[in-house]
Amino acid sequence: MISRKASPGRRRVPWGVYLVLLPTFVVLAVFAYYPALSGMLHSFYEWRPGFSSPFVGLENFVTMLGDDVWWESFRNVGIIFIWATTLMWAFPLLAAELVMSLSSERLRFVFRTLLILPLAFPAVVNVLLWQFMYDPRDGVINSFLRAVGLDGLAHNWIGDPDTALAALMTVGFPWVASLPFLVFLSALQNVPAEIYQAAAVDGAGRLRRFWSIDLPMMLRDVKLLLVLAVIAVLQYGLQAHIMTKGGPDNATQVPVLRMLDAAFLDTSWGYAAALGTVLFVLTLGVSVGALLIGKRGGKGATA
Amino acid sequence: MPLREESPNASPSPNASPDMDPSPSPSPFTDTGVGVGARTASRPAARNRVSRTRRTDLVVGGLLSLLAFAGLFPYLFMFVASFKDNEQFYASYWTPAWPVHLGNYAVAWEKVSPYLFTSFVVAGLATAGALVLATAAAHVFARFRFPGRNVLFGLVAALLMVPSITSLIPLFILMRDLEILDTRLVLIIPHITGNTVFGIVVMRTYMAQLPEEIFEAARVDGAGGIRVFVSLMLPLARPVIGTVALVTVLGVWNDYFWPLLTVQTDEFRTIPAGLAFFANQNAQQWGPLFAGYALASLPLLLLFTFLSKWFLAGIQGGIVSGK
Repeated sequence: MISRKASPGRRRVPWGVYLVLLPTFVVLAVFAYYPALSGMLHSFYEWRPGFSSPFVGLENFVTMLGDDVWWESFRNVGIIFIWATTLMWAFPLLAAELVMSLSSERLRFVFRTLLILPLAFPAVVNVLLWQFMYDPRDGVINSFLRAVGLDGLAHNWIGDPDTALAALMTVGFPWVASLPFLVFLSALQNVPAEIYQAAAVDGAGRLRRFWSIDLPMMLRDVKLLLVLAVIAVLQYGLQAHIMTKGGPDNATQVPVLRMLDAAFLDTSWGYAAALGTVLFVLTLGVSVGALLIGKRGGKGATA
Repeated sequence: MPLREESPNASPSPNASPDMDPSPSPSPFTDTGVGVGARTASRPAARNRVSRTRRTDLVVGGLLSLLAFAGLFPYLFMFVASFKDNEQFYASYWTPAWPVHLGNYAVAWEKVSPYLFTSFVVAGLATAGALVLATAAAHVFARFRFPGRNVLFGLVAALLMVPSITSLIPLFILMRDLEILDTRLVLIIPHITGNTVFGIVVMRTYMAQLPEEIFEAARVDGAGGIRVFVSLMLPLARPVIGTVALVTVLGVWNDYFWPLLTVQTDEFRTIPAGLAFFANQNAQQWGPLFAGYALASLPLLLLFTFLSKWFLAGIQGGIVSGK
């Protein structure tokens, strides 16, 4: 044992470890690496599972360039992204600032728990409940409008192409039970008390403190949230599939739904694989890009 | 408590609770130990400060209550309406109605319980599978040096970059070729793979920072490799094991598309796809519908109540890992 410690370089190879890793890598090879590679490879084929699949080169990608529904889905994703990183951050940010403005630890705990409680419900229940909120006849929103005499405003919110996308994005309002809230809150909790005390001595008001201390302190976390938002938005699909199926008139079409339709409705498996590959490359590009920018920013800061 | 605007230099402030009578405790100004005369002089100021703190708390608390109410409103409505029959639903739309119809829950249980059962089975087996594979592999990556260690670990970590949605189509074809579509097994496998990858990465980090001395001591005492893993590493890694388990359970409870596409037999559906189907079948039957939603929510609510710390770590871990 002592000699082993003395010369770690000449330690004998512990062959047992490969035996331990073997089952894990067998499972990953079959159910993770193989499907990922098979998807990318079949992007270049007219994929007919169970039959011979001819190689078609870039044809699937050319089809994609002319696929209006696909591009429309990206316009929607862009709108969803803007909404997700402005309004859907503003409320969590406000809530985090408010929670930290409370004077007692106990009050903070109570409100934090109440605010994140919706996270304890399955996502599908949240979406189904909001589908009910929008119900044209019995839903909460139209019932409320009728109750206060605004019958004229009652509306088929998810059935009208003009309001469907906005209605989908409003699901979960005010979005405080979310990762951004948890991130903002823990960032604020990590601001050292001395900084606030110094700011108060200098006579900085609440707003000034927000701009000069809180926001800069949160900047690093905001970068991470931004990357996660891009990745999440590219995979957006649950709300759209349950509430609108991408309709009406493709007003809520998103890439994931287009990919699933290509596969399961049109049975164009190769085309669906190509769309999946594009989504993968986009996600990878965003992640790697963020990593590089983050590294450069970090170097600049330390230099 | 960094944010006590009203008393900037009162970090060890004894009047943290706004209900406390300010007079026996020194005001923020007297914290630094000024004389008795100064203390009595500053008393009105202290009282003024405390009432300002209380006023801030009232305003802030009011605004937060509004936000919390808005966020919880759909769920409150669901619970209240789950006890009404359809007549009561329309007659007293905004208020609770008497008598309560517990029968709604009996009706909903009949439909939702198979989904709950499948979800429990899938979540249980996926968690067990992922934990067995991930703890063993992470232990090896964290505590042994062997040729190819970094390459193999890099191969695992690279899978974190592949979002599950992009492998959905090829994975579906693979399951079709293996002829396991429309079974519970087809639901379990992707959660085992995904969480094994996530588990290996987070567990390796955690296990690698445990002090080597503990393991050295165990080996000196004659404990073999397996013994060290089972009776030393597993207990030490309990927090991170709990996090991975919760991420797995949350993943099963929130995965919608995979069970929707791979399973047709009704009782093989997990909660997400099953509940969406249930909602279509029971449209306009508001009482039983909401009772069904409530039943489907119950397991996660219990987890949140009793394991709230792990639950939150699970949510953050799950989202960060891209699921």
